[in-house]
Amino acid sequence: MSIYKQRLKEFEEALSEEELDFEKFRKLCFNGIPDTNGYRALCWKLLLGYLSPKRSSWSETLGQKRKLYSQFVNEMVVPPGQDKAECVDHPLSEGPDSAWSTFFKDNEFLLQIDKDVRRLYPDISFFQQPTEFPCDLVVNSKGERRLHQRVVPSVFSSANVERKGLGMTKINLITKRSVENYEAMDEGQEAHWEVVQRILFIYAKLNPGQGYVQGMNEIIGPIYYIMASDPSAEQRENAEADTFFCFTALMSEIRDFFIKTLDDSEGGIKFMMAKLTNMVKEKAPEIHQKLKEQELYPQYYSFRWLTLLLSQEFSLPDVVRIWDTVFADDNRFDFLIDVCCSMIVSLEDQILNNDFASNVKLLQNYPPTDINLILSKAVELRL
Amino acid sequence: MAKKTYDLLFKLLLIGDSGVGKTCILFRFSDDAFTSTFISTIGIDFKIKTVELRGKKIKLQIWDTAGQERFHTITTSYYRGAMGIMLVYDITNEKSFENIVKWLRNIDEHANEDVEKMILGNKCDMDEKRIVSKDRGESIAREHGIRFMETSAKANVNIEKAFCELAEAILDKTSGREPAENTERVAFDRRGAGQEKQASYKNCCST
Repeated sequence: MSIYKQRLKEFEEALSEEELDFEKFRKLCFNGIPDTNGYRALCWKLLLGYLSPKRSSWSETLGQKRKLYSQFVNEMVVPPGQDKAECVDHPLSEGPDSAWSTFFKDNEFLLQIDKDVRRLYPDISFFQQPTEFPCDLVVNSKGERRLHQRVVPSVFSSANVERKGLGMTKINLITKRSVENYEAMDEGQEAHWEVVQRILFIYAKLNPGQGYVQGMNEIIGPIYYIMASDPSAEQRENAEADTFFCFTALMSEIRDFFIKTLDDSEGGIKFMMAKLTNMVKEKAPEIHQKLKEQELYPQYYSFRWLTLLLSQEFSLPDVVRIWDTVFADDNRFDFLIDVCCSMIVSLEDQILNNDFASNVKLLQNYPPTDINLILSKAVELRL
Repeated sequence: MAKKTYDLLFKLLLIGDSGVGKTCILFRFSDDAFTSTFISTIGIDFKIKTVELRGKKIKLQIWDTAGQERFHTITTSYYRGAMGIMLVYDITNEKSFENIVKWLRNIDEHANEDVEKMILGNKCDMDEKRIVSKDRGESIAREHGIRFMETSAKANVNIEKAFCELAEAILDKTSGREPAENTERVAFDRRGAGQEKQASYKNCCST
């Protein structure tokens, strides 16, 4: 039996047990989850704690959570002035309880989300494609529940107003559509980026202390991609809800990276960068010395590496492979540091010979590489 | 250490709200290309281009920053070393223009006092979506005594000119107090020139 088939069998067995042996399961995932059978989607749900190791609980959990998510959509993705709005409420009301006031506040972060989801993984066409399972409530609302429609003010401001005769006003709205690829879909359809937008919007609504921070789009991208590419139609249909809960679980562990006021705290991003620097100093003192001499600070490259869990440094297949291991690790984000250290150590020859500019470029645009070598070196380094 | 292939090194910084096109401007300048599908900048990015100004080879080291508030603690640490700062807004986005004042305040707080500044109103090819008039851009620049230009990374309008003017302004300041190491001219050594794109912009900066 080939090694690959052997691995598939191991996963099949591990996942069919009534009560998962979680330690064993983790070790299995640590070496990479096979790309077939929707294993990765299921394993990530388990590793991130969305599903419990008890197999019999899965369908109930999924049913409950998916229902809960559809409630979120129902309650939060609404046009203002329709549902809860009372007669005293109107767009110019500035009262804190005004549904309109909330609506306008929401649009501020929605605008940022909109910009970012429209530039999610531009190298692949996936996010620009229509989903087979659009959210009916949204796509059949004549645009009223479409989030991105709330934040395209430029269409209105470019209206040509002509006065004709007796105060008759003719307004020509310029409806020229943009030529970009991340175009909105017609009624009844929506693209994957629109789904991601909705998840991020709901997440930001539910976590007002944190809101939406750039980079969250890069974290949610691979998760949604995996969930929405599941071979099972039933799973794909619920990719949105499942992604939301997996993303929420993951964010609960890395949220400190995204909060400015926590930068210096333990678990904050500066702390993580310092940890990486110390590891490089210990494992590869020459590199550390060289970078220090060049005043090439870790923020120049590792801020992005760590905040985004390396999702911008490698191609999507490599990113999900790294995440298998990172999610499977006991000390999840310690291993991330090990991987980053391994990336630096793997470039030793170049770093030691390069000047400052070449080194910044090298580290900010990590060269294509065999990701398995980086990962195995990371395991060696931690010993 | 290899011979220096430049006479002067200028550090520039691009700042402004998220999505105004900072990365596109830089990409247009360094690679003379445009793509509308850039991933958002997280933290800070870096590019280099060498230009020739008044017979001097000037290496521009340009830092591109993330626009969102969250990244300010990370990005403001770069202000200090910058000799020139490009402040970008989007002419189709009112908010990004209003925030120019905020960005200026940031510069005052974190950058060197004598840093050269320039305001850029980007996306000037999208006139049908324009919200901020050129007058308003000019007047805020005048108010603060800063250079101003409308640019389009997409249509390649004024991009090179903007960088060259900024570089020239810095050059004006630095000439007269050139560091000694730079007196050893290596202008004849052109071997390094292939690696970093050479700009000849006699047209745009001759005025």
